[in-house]
Amino acid sequence: MMDAHRQNRLRALTTPVILIAILLAFVLIITATGDKSLARMAAQTLIRVTFVVGLWIFVGNSGVVSFGHAGFMAIGAYCSAWLTLRPQMKGMFLPDLPPWLASAEWPHLPATVVSGLLAALVALIVGAAILRLSGIAASIATFAFLAIVDTVYSNWEGVTGATSSVVGLDRYADEWVTLIWASVAVLAAAIYANSASGLALRATREDEVAAAASGVNMYRHRLLSLVISGFFTGVSGVLLGHSLGVLNPNSFYLGITFITLAMLVVGGIGSLSGAVIGVLVLSVLIEGLVRFERGIDIGGASFALPSGAQEILIGIIMILVLIIRPTGLTGGRELRLPAFGLRVRNSKQEPQSTN
Amino acid sequence: MTKLGVYDLEVRYGKVPALGGVTLHLQEGERLFVSGPNGAGKSSLLKAIAGAVSSSHGRVELDGDIITGKSAEAIARYGLSMVPEGRDIFSTLTVEENLRVGTGIRADKQAIEGDISEIYDAFPILGERRHANAGALSGGQQQMLAIGRGLMTNPKLMMVDEPSLGLAPNIVDQVYDTLVALQQERGLTLLIVEQSSARAARVGGRMVLLRGGQVVGDGDAAEFAKRDLLKEAYFGQADQSKSMEEAL
Repeated sequence: MMDAHRQNRLRALTTPVILIAILLAFVLIITATGDKSLARMAAQTLIRVTFVVGLWIFVGNSGVVSFGHAGFMAIGAYCSAWLTLRPQMKGMFLPDLPPWLASAEWPHLPATVVSGLLAALVALIVGAAILRLSGIAASIATFAFLAIVDTVYSNWEGVTGATSSVVGLDRYADEWVTLIWASVAVLAAAIYANSASGLALRATREDEVAAAASGVNMYRHRLLSLVISGFFTGVSGVLLGHSLGVLNPNSFYLGITFITLAMLVVGGIGSLSGAVIGVLVLSVLIEGLVRFERGIDIGGASFALPSGAQEILIGIIMILVLIIRPTGLTGGRELRLPAFGLRVRNSKQEPQSTN
Repeated sequence: MTKLGVYDLEVRYGKVPALGGVTLHLQEGERLFVSGPNGAGKSSLLKAIAGAVSSSHGRVELDGDIITGKSAEAIARYGLSMVPEGRDIFSTLTVEENLRVGTGIRADKQAIEGDISEIYDAFPILGERRHANAGALSGGQQQMLAIGRGLMTNPKLMMVDEPSLGLAPNIVDQVYDTLVALQQERGLTLLIVEQSSARAARVGGRMVLLRGGQVVGDGDAAEFAKRDLLKEAYFGQADQSKSMEEAL
């Protein structure tokens, strides 16, 4: 009995291993081409994987759609800028930072972790209020949170640089660094989803009344998942800053909110695999179409799509995917290794052997 | 010893009264059927006791503790489990995951695996399909799973809302046989909503008849079954509640 259960759990943990292998293969293929711009695209894609997987930890398990996670991304990104920018730069562009922050020059990893933790802390405070709501009201409240973050970061001139961008961030977040963080996020998401809390939260997603009757405190599990989710989306913001080298509040507003939600829905909101696959498929498609727009040579003749065609085609593709597969490309299923040899244990033999 | 005491419990949905002052008692280890026509307030009674809807008046006591006004989740921790009507299972979770959801509140973690295999013994089909999505089960299997899940919180009192709804008679027999066996094994107190007094009489136990949100009859299920037959035989759609009141 214990064995069968443990084996099933191990089997569930093959999902992150497969997903990380896919991400690794993705990076290896891109680096094999030796194309610098493709490598940048890979890093951007992996940052989105980190973000969407972080988003999924909350949205996928709770069933509550959040429009506010780009806010956590902004909080993480700016925090890392405060901690890692050279003090002279901060003196010039961010004159109102408190002295201890203005003089801080942290190494990358601690800055990333602390920035993620700040986003998680904000998630805890905001979630404590918002998650008392349920359904669409909670979703709208997350959107209000995003609007608040955007307004603050767009206007707090001396601390965030407001709408004039913060520049000079160390661009260390290449495809390998982002691969590591994306993998950590995937692993954490799989462990959370298979934990007691993740299970309880998925039960509330199905049926709040029955879950409560089973002794599940929905609020507590939602809050825990939002905090973990906030951490990884915060980290993805850090990576975005250190990939582009530039921070602007606009990068963390509606554009990223909707494209990432679209990736999650197209991949399949019900599964972690869906979150990862959705980002990869849409990112590759977007990159391909962007290149098509610029023009490609086939047998001496040059073809190019009219500009703007990329957005329209992506829109059409998303509509088609959702018409054909309303539950997303993965249909809410996880990628798993087949259960070799497990079938015997799972059949009638099992219950008898335990007694 | 009184396990459950319901005192003058009222439930309103907006201005519509669903339950108008119900008082009833349930002894430890007892089996009580709640019957009555549609809209009599059977489900409202269960939901109000379990904290899934709030009552506008009255109180509920479990083992002498007042549980009225507590959240459904807190009431589950008191050892009261409700199996909702319509086989409300978590359909995208597997059978085993469904069973594990209720174990989060238990302190005796080491007993969980034993309890799960006990439920697989009681309902072998669930053991065979433990890794299947619960939504893929048949109606009868879903009802078994809902009951199994209700047991996983290790309740002392379990309330089951219409376990026979929409199931074939032989499946209903199987569900009741298992419920009765589990009750004897675990010393459970059971409160079951059951429309058919004949069915309740065959299983055996006390029966309370609800009508228009009020208790209109209370007695041995077998008595009700006899009355029902008489009623059907001689009076057609006669006022069941009156005949019951006379009978008692």
